[in-house]
Amino acid sequence: MELRTKEMITSMGLYSLLTMVVYQIALSQSGSSFDPRQIAAGLLWLAFLFTSMLGLNRSLVHEQDQGCLEALLLAPVDRPVIFFAKAIGNLVFLLIVEALTIPVFAFLFLQGGGYGGSFWMIPLVLTAGSIGIAGVGTLLATMSVNTKGKDFVLTVLMVPLMYPLLLAAVSATTAAVLGGDGSVEQFWAGMGGIAGYDAIMLLAAYALYEFVIGA
Amino acid sequence: MTEALTTDVALEVRDLSRTFGVRKALNKVDFDLPDGAFLSVFGPNGAGKTTLIKVLTTVTAPSKGTAKVCGLDVVQDAVGLREKIGLISHNPLLYPDLSAEENLQFFAEMYGISEAQDRVRELLVSVELDHRRMDLVRTFSRGMLQRLSIARALLHRPEVLFLDEPYSGLDPHAMDILDGLIAQIRSEHTFVMISHDLDKGLELCSHALILAKGKVVLFDAKENIEAEEFKATYRSTVGMGVA
Repeated sequence: MELRTKEMITSMGLYSLLTMVVYQIALSQSGSSFDPRQIAAGLLWLAFLFTSMLGLNRSLVHEQDQGCLEALLLAPVDRPVIFFAKAIGNLVFLLIVEALTIPVFAFLFLQGGGYGGSFWMIPLVLTAGSIGIAGVGTLLATMSVNTKGKDFVLTVLMVPLMYPLLLAAVSATTAAVLGGDGSVEQFWAGMGGIAGYDAIMLLAAYALYEFVIGA
Repeated sequence: MTEALTTDVALEVRDLSRTFGVRKALNKVDFDLPDGAFLSVFGPNGAGKTTLIKVLTTVTAPSKGTAKVCGLDVVQDAVGLREKIGLISHNPLLYPDLSAEENLQFFAEMYGISEAQDRVRELLVSVELDHRRMDLVRTFSRGMLQRLSIARALLHRPEVLFLDEPYSGLDPHAMDILDGLIAQIRSEHTFVMISHDLDKGLELCSHALILAKGKVVLFDAKENIEAEEFKATYRSTVGMGVA
């Protein structure tokens, strides 16, 4: 359906790219002594977090329209199967948008000092972090879909819950961008945090989805 | 016609309650429905009719009590039960950006139907939409949507069909077509229909149930019901005129 309408990919992709441009404008007067690579990872993950919220808010639109969510709930499959299907779909969209955004990000923020780490680090941390965003986000989007002001509810629930993931992801991504002594250790410490968050939150989402969707 | 089919119990509802916060949408609902019966459920807005259907179709879990459909518990055997039920709602439950055929194919896959292509084609022919099978559902009229919705609900050959105000928003011609489709499949299924139209509901049913404030006010077989008395009971109980 998304292949036909391209609503999510278009809106998420444009939003993410425009955010990069806005960041560039905001940092354009920072002076030559300022190294944007120091904060680039934080900016990148903020852009992905807000972009994911845009997509997550739309991820259940097709199901909401004409009551299709109820039709899915009537199918003879366990509810967690529906959760994982939606979460994997959201993950794929997020990864596509990230793949489009990273070259722009590198062009705007990594030109001065260059990229310090190994190239495999960025795809690894992006994939691991995105799994957490898609998993928790899918659960929260389902919770908020029938509430008044669902966009606001999703944001209020999602940002605090994403805090540990963002800390770990920014730490690992900063290590990947800057490189240097101790960066590999810092990268793996961050990856450990992301992996732990993903495991705990995905298990919680798996356990809670039946209750959330049937409430 | 229904008497010949009434050998087993299709629905077994015991002290069924569903609360939303402090509001009791269903309050100790209790009844049995024989296999092959046609139950019409009446009641004013907020009586708990849609909640009853949602619980019986496993969409919403009950707060207390039990309910069995085709002998399967709505909580313990939910996945197996869903293979035996179909829902036709006032909402078509179809993806507007997919064609009629794509919608049915998608739901056929969800139900794991073998030879889905043939079954989809057969149903599109039976609801007279084969000529529009490649058209996006968002281009369909209300009556066409409802016919396609019936095809979706019948894909997996359910034993019990739930109809949640299926005539809502239909023009007289579309209502006639829906009447014809229900008549075609009447002998093969047990039906549970929510209706605000007392005459239509009583005409179709073998059993009738009035819900008010989540409680069963009246439940009986049609042969024990006198229409005017039933309407008076409905009016007096829910304090509303008959539409």
